[in-house]
Amino acid sequence: MGAMKKPFSIAGLIKRIFFLDFVKGLSLTLRHTVSRSVTLRYPDEEKWVPYKRFRGRHTLNRDERGKELCVACELCVKACPTNCITVVPVEDKNGRGISDRVASVWTVNLVRCLFCGYCEDACPTTAVRLGRDFELACSDKSCTFFTKEELLVPQRTPEYFKGGVIVKARLGRDKVKGVPVIVPYFEEQKPDWWLRAK
Amino acid sequence: MDTAVLIEVVIIIIKVMIVAGVLFNLPIPLTWIERKVAGHIQSRLGPFRVGPHGILQPVADGIKMLLKEDIVPEKADKFLFKLAPLIALVPMFLIFVAMPFGESVTLPYVDKEITLYISDMNMGILYVLAVSGLSVYGLMLGGWASNSKYALLGGLRSAAQMISYEVALTFAVIGVVMISGSLSLLDIVKSQYGGVFNWNVFYLPVGPVWFVIFVIAGMAEMNRIPFDLPEDEGTLGAGFHTEYSGMRFSFFAMAEYIAMTSIAVLTTVLFLGGWDDPFGTGILPGIFWLMGKVAVLIYFFMWIRFTIPRYRYDQLMNIGWKILIPVSMANILVTGFLKIWVP
Repeated sequence: MGAMKKPFSIAGLIKRIFFLDFVKGLSLTLRHTVSRSVTLRYPDEEKWVPYKRFRGRHTLNRDERGKELCVACELCVKACPTNCITVVPVEDKNGRGISDRVASVWTVNLVRCLFCGYCEDACPTTAVRLGRDFELACSDKSCTFFTKEELLVPQRTPEYFKGGVIVKARLGRDKVKGVPVIVPYFEEQKPDWWLRAK
Repeated sequence: MDTAVLIEVVIIIIKVMIVAGVLFNLPIPLTWIERKVAGHIQSRLGPFRVGPHGILQPVADGIKMLLKEDIVPEKADKFLFKLAPLIALVPMFLIFVAMPFGESVTLPYVDKEITLYISDMNMGILYVLAVSGLSVYGLMLGGWASNSKYALLGGLRSAAQMISYEVALTFAVIGVVMISGSLSLLDIVKSQYGGVFNWNVFYLPVGPVWFVIFVIAGMAEMNRIPFDLPEDEGTLGAGFHTEYSGMRFSFFAMAEYIAMTSIAVLTTVLFLGGWDDPFGTGILPGIFWLMGKVAVLIYFFMWIRFTIPRYRYDQLMNIGWKILIPVSMANILVTGFLKIWVP
C-alpha cells in the first residue's frame, strides 16, 4: 500500500515553496526560547515546600510543657505494614508519684518505610506525625535509621506553614546527615509553579 | 634565503597556527551554546551547575571524555578504526586554508600589511568542495572498521546522503560562481561589496533560491538534524560512531561542530557578502561583520536542530534527488539567462 496521495493544490504548493510550516515551527520554538523556564533550580536557589498533607520523614511531638507525647503503646509498631518501627517501652521513674510508660527506644528504619501514614492514624496521642522533610539521601548508612532524639528535633518546615510553594533555599553541607537544603526564610513565590509550563 | 621570503613564511605559519588554534577551541563554546539553546527552546535552563550559568560545562565534558576508557572492539579493523576520526576531523581544518576572513589589515608599529586569509587560490571554491567531500571517508571508514551492523549501516547511509547532497551543494556553488563570475572566494566576496542589496542572496529572483538550496544541502553535509541519518539513534543505535568512546568519539563531535562553522562561514562568504558592511556605515571592522553573520547562521542551525524532527530515509532521498537537484538545474538556466540579458 502506497502512501495516500494528497490532491494537488496551489495553496499547498505556495506553502511548501515559502516553507510556511517551517516558519510556524520555528516561531513556536522561538517563543519558547524567550519564555520563562519551568526548571526548579532545586538545591541551589529554590526549593519546593510540600503541602501539609504531604507524608515525609517521621517526627515525634512534645506537649506544650515539653514532655514527650509518646506513651510507648506500640500501636504504631502493630499498624506498620513493613515493620520498620521499633519501640521499647520502659517505666519513667522521674514522674511525680505515678511512673509513666515511655519509649526508651523509638527507631524508624526509613529504608523499609513506605510512608503510608498508618502509624500516624494508629497513634492515640498524636505523638508520631509524618512531617514534610523529604531530603533523606546520604552517602552512608547514617540516615537509614532515625532515633528518638533525632525525631524529637522539630523539622525545618514548621507545622503552621501552609506549603505548596517555592521558597528560596541554598545548598548546605552537613557531614552527619547528608546534604540538606537549608531554607533561610520563607518567601512565598508563585504557588502553582507548574502552571509556568504553559 | 631572502629575508622577505622568510618573513612571509613565518607570517603564513603564524596565521595557520591562529586559525587552527581557534578552530580547535571553537567546539568548547559551541557545545555550551548548543546545550543552552536546546534548553531554552524546551523551556529548560540547560547546564547550570558547573560555573556561572554552566559555562564550564564543556570543560567538565572534556575531562570526562579524556578519562573514559578508549575501547577498540576486538574484531574491529584496528588501524582504520583509529584512523577514521582523524580523517573526519582533518579535512574540516583544511577547508579553512582557502577561507577568506577579510581583505587585509596593516599592523601598527611595524607598518606591515597582512592579508586576512591563508591563501587566495584562484579556484578556492573548488578546493573547498573537494576537501569537504573527503571528510565523509571518515564516517564511512569508521562505520566499516567498527565491524558492527549499526555502524556499517550508518556509514553506508552517510555515503548515500553525501552523494545526493554534494550534487545540490555543488550546483548552488555553480550558481554563485555564475553570478559573481569568479572561482576565487576573495573575488566572490569583492563582487558583493556595497551594502545588503549587492549580496548574492538578494540577486533576485535566483539568489534566495540558491541560498535555500545551499543551506539545506549544507545542513545535510554536516550531518545534523534534520539530516543526521548516519547517526539516527532511533533506528541505528548511534550510527557510525556506535563503537566509539572517549576522545575518539569527541573527535567526531568536534568534526561536526567545525563542519557547522565551515558551512556557516562558506554561506556567509558566498551569499551574505562575507565581511561586507550591510549598511555601509563603516563603524566596525569587516571581520566583526563576518563573525556576526557566522554566529547568526550557527544559531539558526541550532534552532533548526531543536525544532524539526529527523527526516525518514526515503524522504531524505526524495528531497535530495527529486526536489533540490531539479530545482537547481532549472535555476542554473534562469541564472544564465539573467547573466546574458540583464547587464
